[in-house]
Amino acid sequence: MTATATRPAPPRAPRAKRRGASRQKREMWLLMLPAMVPVLLFSVGPLLYGIGLAFTDARNTRVHETSFVGLENFTRMLSDEQFWASFQIGAIWSISVTVLQFLAALGLALLLNMNLRFRSVARVLAVVPWAMPPVVIGLMWKLVYHPDAGILNDLLGTDINWLADFSLALPAIIVVGVWTGMPQTTVVLLAGLQNVPKELYEAGEVDGAGRWRRFWNITLPQLRPVIVAITSLDFVWNFNQFGLVYVLTQGGPGGRTRLPMLFAYEEAFRYRAAGYASMLGLAMAIVVLAVLGLYLWRQMREAK
Amino acid sequence: MRIKSALAAAAIVTLAAACGGGGGGEPAGPGEPVKLDFLSLAWQKESVAANKELVNEWNKAHPDIQVTYVQGSWDNVNDQLVTQFAGGTAPDVIHNDSPALAGFASDGYLLDLSGKLPAELKSDIPQHAWDTVTFAGGEGEQGVYGVPFLQESQVIIANKKLLDESGARVPTPEEPWTWDEFSEAAKKMTKDGRYGVAWAMKSPVNKTLNLALNFGGTFFQTTDGNTTVKVGPEEREVLQRIHDQLYKDKSADPAALGQGTADPLPAFFQGKFAMLPTGVYLRQQVVEQAPDGFEWVTLPAPKGTSAQQGAVSQTLSIAQESEHPDEAMQFISFFLNAANQAKLAKGDWLLPTSQKAAADAAMTTKENGWDVATASAQNLVVAPFLKVNGYDEWRSKVATPVLQEYFANKISLDEVAKRLVEEGNQVLERYHR
Repeated sequence: MTATATRPAPPRAPRAKRRGASRQKREMWLLMLPAMVPVLLFSVGPLLYGIGLAFTDARNTRVHETSFVGLENFTRMLSDEQFWASFQIGAIWSISVTVLQFLAALGLALLLNMNLRFRSVARVLAVVPWAMPPVVIGLMWKLVYHPDAGILNDLLGTDINWLADFSLALPAIIVVGVWTGMPQTTVVLLAGLQNVPKELYEAGEVDGAGRWRRFWNITLPQLRPVIVAITSLDFVWNFNQFGLVYVLTQGGPGGRTRLPMLFAYEEAFRYRAAGYASMLGLAMAIVVLAVLGLYLWRQMREAK
Repeated sequence: MRIKSALAAAAIVTLAAACGGGGGGEPAGPGEPVKLDFLSLAWQKESVAANKELVNEWNKAHPDIQVTYVQGSWDNVNDQLVTQFAGGTAPDVIHNDSPALAGFASDGYLLDLSGKLPAELKSDIPQHAWDTVTFAGGEGEQGVYGVPFLQESQVIIANKKLLDESGARVPTPEEPWTWDEFSEAAKKMTKDGRYGVAWAMKSPVNKTLNLALNFGGTFFQTTDGNTTVKVGPEEREVLQRIHDQLYKDKSADPAALGQGTADPLPAFFQGKFAMLPTGVYLRQQVVEQAPDGFEWVTLPAPKGTSAQQGAVSQTLSIAQESEHPDEAMQFISFFLNAANQAKLAKGDWLLPTSQKAAADAAMTTKENGWDVATASAQNLVVAPFLKVNGYDEWRSKVATPVLQEYFANKISLDEVAKRLVEEGNQVLERYHR
């Protein structure tokens, strides 16, 4: 220690190293450039533009001079009851869809992980909803829910207009949301299940652990990282869901299914308030990030 | 980090430039035909056919002005136009309806046609129809922002057998039912698990507001250039009467409430209810879908203190940024001449604004209720809400949920009035600034 400390450091070495490092950095930037350009051009650029818009009174009209209004959009948002009503609907929607989706997908994944006959066929069938665009799913379920010709009323022998009923519309679209999102959740959980080492189960069996015990003490803890990842992704997807609800109910009846995304869309493209809509989008992005950050942070801490 | 922000700035500039430069088509060189895009919202089969046929006819006769038919949809046309206008890619000739024009006109996206209209077209369409398309434009000046060509009035389509059985007086255009008689007839037809009437109220606002004029209900008042919502005794009449049919007389089918205009038809054909108050165009769907031997009649809408109904019209407009406005106007005046309007009206089962077209024999025949439909045109007056800036937001944010809740019997009429006025004025206020 002392020897190295007293010896004067070779003068050139660090500079050369620094030069090497900076060259390396330059090369890294150069290599990243092709990937960066589209990201910057199509994600970061519009994002910054949107953030900028949120502080102006921009309107989608030809005669309007856009000017900077500071936090006016923000204060309007805080006092906009309609927005908060829609935000509440969004929270109910995204949390219940995410939770139900997870439970249903976990069940399905466990089933598909067992040694069943026609397992591969069943696995393919489980992924089918994934192959459909949200608009097609919306149209299909619209037919299912149709008050006169719908298959659901036929089966139940009822005469309910599911999507127009004030208390049933939201649950009805939540069912569709769960159905839509199940495949990717199932696939991810199934992949996680197949990564759980067989030895653990064998050891558990030797120790006399029952089915339930093995699930609770082996499967779940082993799946934990997968579960955290997929539920947080699902939450973001569900919160930002738009196409499905747009096709199914357009936010009706009486705004009972007007998710925040739909609300922002209407502000921008129906009432032309581009500035206000950008502020709404910004607020939603921040809320999603905050919820997600909190959730991930807690999960990480518990995992440690 | 600095590089990143510099790149981002560059990206924004490029994007902005790309957006700004995207407008319109190429200017036509010498000898090349002028190209026009025509956004049509025709959706009924006959109507689409009639539209396309007219476009073909025009293209054959005018090799120097070629029109491309672009199919749009009523469901999302206004969202689509907002984006297209903002991006500078809007079609030259735009089919829409008068309520939407007010907004686009004041945004400055539509061309003021008042100086361009050929005299023949102008005189063939009566003034009250022109009133439905006269708005304040971007700089506050009054202008004509579309050519009105098809009008919709409300009628009642009734199951003939059930109507005859009920013994109710059959109303005629000269002597329509009063609302009392209408409710009475609905009660008579309600029996054996069948309802007298069905109100399809998925989009309740325009329908209710148009009918509210029966009792002089305008819903809006303007003092000193400031428009506010009003819900007084006149406005309450029709609301209350429909509500009574649903919950007091129990003569209206509650299942239809959440349905769109054409949705109750299967139940109508099955005889689950006897009468369907609706727009004249629905007759086409009835003719097309009715099972063999199903007999139906068109009855005039009931009258209150008057038989007046609010009128909105379908329109053709020209985009402000169109590069060939004069050619577009030529196309419109061909497309909407009397003979062609009669074809379009027949195709869409609506009423032509053209006086010559309305006199066409096909428009006054007894068959399929055309005589009743055409006669109802004389009751049409400009809907007061047409001139209200911010009406669209008031309708979808305030009035639609409030009326849906009212007709679902969730709130009282007093609360309806309170919310329509209070929440409504908040919305309208934003448009006054």
